[in-house]
Amino acid sequence: MGHATSQRIETLPAPLQGIVQTIFDWIPLGILVVLWEFASGTFVAESILPPPTIVLSRIVELIVTGDVFSHLFISLFRITVGLGLSILVGVLLGIGMARSKPVENFFDIFLSMTYPIPKTALVPLAILWLGVGTETAILIVFLACLLPVVLNAYNAANDVNQSLVWAAQMMGTSERAMLFKVVFPATIPEIMTGIRQAVPIAFVALVSAELIASNQGMGYLILTSGQIGNYPRMFANIVIISAVAFVAVRGFEEARNRVLVWT
Amino acid sequence: MDVNADATDGFDTSRLVDIGKSIYSLVIVLVLWELVGQLELIHYYFLPPLSDIILRFIELTLSGQMLENAFLTLYRALVGLAIASVFGVIVGVLSARNDFVDWFFDPIIKIGYPVPIISLIPVFMLWFGIGDISKIIMVAVGTFWPVAVNARDSTQQVQTNLLWAAQMMGTSDRRLLRRVVLPAALPGIITGFQIAMPLSLIITFVFEMVAGGGGLGALEIQGVRSFQSAQVYAAIIAVMFIGIGLDRGLRFIRSRLLHWT
Repeated sequence: MGHATSQRIETLPAPLQGIVQTIFDWIPLGILVVLWEFASGTFVAESILPPPTIVLSRIVELIVTGDVFSHLFISLFRITVGLGLSILVGVLLGIGMARSKPVENFFDIFLSMTYPIPKTALVPLAILWLGVGTETAILIVFLACLLPVVLNAYNAANDVNQSLVWAAQMMGTSERAMLFKVVFPATIPEIMTGIRQAVPIAFVALVSAELIASNQGMGYLILTSGQIGNYPRMFANIVIISAVAFVAVRGFEEARNRVLVWT
Repeated sequence: MDVNADATDGFDTSRLVDIGKSIYSLVIVLVLWELVGQLELIHYYFLPPLSDIILRFIELTLSGQMLENAFLTLYRALVGLAIASVFGVIVGVLSARNDFVDWFFDPIIKIGYPVPIISLIPVFMLWFGIGDISKIIMVAVGTFWPVAVNARDSTQQVQTNLLWAAQMMGTSDRRLLRRVVLPAALPGIITGFQIAMPLSLIITFVFEMVAGGGGLGALEIQGVRSFQSAQVYAAIIAVMFIGIGLDRGLRFIRSRLLHWT
């Protein structure tokens, strides 16, 4: 099917080819949306599955009136701080463990013990310590994102090309300069990979914390919309947070490709 | 035997030193934890002494409460994961082998994979209620994506040389799939399971915390609400055992199935 159509598309003028291909690629999604629109109100009660047109109008309404922004900004603040802290601590810890045996001996056991714990199981513990609100959400995002960053930084710093280190040492580079000028730059691509893995995890952790332990933020908004029976608003908020997550992942991938020009 | 005694002794001590080096930090932290708790430097509610938590853990285990809730959590997570595995592998392998299936599922996967699946919990509560069925379907939907994507990508990367060689020797399409494609794609498919497994636990815990209905997540939240912090810690210890157990289990299965790699 793909081959046949791509041959047919090639007979079109060049500027149209891309557009037609894109439309063709996304037809299945269009079919689903049309089915959803049709099913809602016929097979499934409209209250349980609001049609896409109503959800869309609700999204526009939420954005135009600005109702969504207070919650969205709080969520974005929490995820930025949590992810930022995990990158800072994770890179330091990962490189430290790779370059120093005592540091590795000290932290290794904690990492291998906490690695298999799903971090959202720690939300109740975070509530014990920090109560319900922003600090709890930041802590959960931080913990959930820490391990991917640490592991990637650690592996990268362990695998730094030994010839680079020797070459720098031969030229009399000090220990400190070695860390900042040789080891750290060499690990940047892997650290980026770690962050790329952490971004979707951050969104899952954020929404979990907000569903369970918050009275603000997108997770809270989704849960309460459902509880009071305002289902179009619930779906609209889910679409908005999903779109933000999608843009965040794509945006980071774009940024990474720009930054890593030398790889 | 006696001749080798010295050598093995030496080996054992160096091994012991290695073990000591790797766990001394844990011992320090655990002893500090107990001390801080006993001296009440931190309020009991925030950090009960370790011994209290272990006692509570044993108590909950003996009364059967811990096992019952752990079973509920595992049952929901693993049944959901099993359903997702079947559908995910079928959709993934077919996507890689068939243009039409790929055309249909590619945009759906592109849009569906990045959705923070946890945000759909209120939707599943609306559609399927708060019982086991709802949780299992939620886990199945959430873990479908990583399984399908890994199955598709690893099937696509199966070397064409292998396929050509098999086809040249007259292998039928069906045998090609069973004897060549699936074994070659298996490492990637299992990687998909390894990514999906923690996700299945995450979804189950959060669903249990939001909607109740038993399970370790509900046990934790119940501990928070009744101000029994030792119960929260005890439940997290159980979560840790389950996480480590499942992780080890999957690694074991992986090494057994992939002993030829």
